[in-house]
Amino acid sequence: MSEMDILKKLDMVKAPPGFEQHVMAQLSLRKRQERRRRRALRWSLAGSLASLTVVFVLLGTGVFRDRTPLGIADRGADSRPASSLVQRAAAEETISIIERLDYTTEIRSRSSEPETIYLLEQVSDTTPREIKY
Amino acid sequence: MDDQELIREVQKGDELAFGKIVSAYKDRIVNFLYQFTGDYQKAVELSQETFLRVYFKAGKYKPVAPLSSWIYAIASNLAKTEMKKARKFPTVSLDEIAAHDMRRNASSEDPPDPGLISNLREALNALHPRYRIPVVLKDMEGFSQEEIAQIMKKPVGTIKARISRGRSFLKKRLEKALAGENLAV
Repeated sequence: MSEMDILKKLDMVKAPPGFEQHVMAQLSLRKRQERRRRRALRWSLAGSLASLTVVFVLLGTGVFRDRTPLGIADRGADSRPASSLVQRAAAEETISIIERLDYTTEIRSRSSEPETIYLLEQVSDTTPREIKY
Repeated sequence: MDDQELIREVQKGDELAFGKIVSAYKDRIVNFLYQFTGDYQKAVELSQETFLRVYFKAGKYKPVAPLSSWIYAIASNLAKTEMKKARKFPTVSLDEIAAHDMRRNASSEDPPDPGLISNLREALNALHPRYRIPVVLKDMEGFSQEEIAQIMKKPVGTIKARISRGRSFLKKRLEKALAGENLAV
C-alpha cells in the first residue's frame, strides 16, 4: 500500500455545528475592536501632533526669538535685553560675559581720516601665455 | 456567484458574501488544520482565525491565484506560527487528554486498524511542517503541485522534492513502527 493511500485512511473531520455563527460573532467583535483601535490611534496621533505644536510654539517664543536678526539688533538699541540677560545669568548663578560696546565713536573717528586712493597701472605689455607641458 | 465575485463583495465589506465563503470552505480548512496540528480544538480555533483574516485582509487578495489557494496559504501560515509557539511553550490541555482517551476508547471498537492510524498520526506529527504541509495538501486535500507551490510561495521543483522527502520519511517511520510492533508481538 502506498503512503498516499495510507494517508487517506486518516480520519477526516468536519467543522463543528454553529461554526459560521461563531465566526460571524467573532467578526462583529473584531470589527468593534478595530473601530475602537482606529479611534484611539486617531486621537493619540492628534494629541501627539498638538503637543508637538505646543512644544514648538513654546520653544519658538522662548528661545528662537532672541536669535532672529531683529532680536539681535534690539540688543544694541537699548540696554534692556542685555541687562535682562545679565539678570537671568545672575539668577542662574553663572558668570556673565556679556559686555556692552559702543562703536559709534570709532566709526565717527574713521570717517574723519583722509581717504586712501589706489592707482592701478599696467606694468607689462606682454600678454599672458598658457603654460605648456 | 463564484469565488472571485464573492471575494470582490467581501472586499466591499459584504458580510453575506463572507458567510458564503465560510460555508464553502469551513470543512476543508478545519480538516486541513486538523491533519496539520492533530488537535481538533486547535484546528477549529485556527480555522476561525483563518476566516477572520480572510475578511480583514480581503483587500490584499489578488486574483492571480484561486481563492482556495489564498485561504489555504493563510491557514498554513497560521498553523506554522502556532506550531512554533507550541514548540516554545509545550502544553497539554486537560481537554486534549480527555479527547485522546475518548478517541482511544472509541478506536478500540470501530476502526479496522487502529495501530496503523495512530502510527500514521504520530509519524505525521513528527514530520517537519516544511514537508507536512505539502504532503497533507497533496495526499489528503488533493491539490496539484502547482497549486501547492502557489500556496507555499515556493518553486514547483521544491514542492516536488518536499513531497517526495515527506512521503519517504512517513514510509520509513511507519515501517519502523510496524517492525517494532511485530517484534513486541
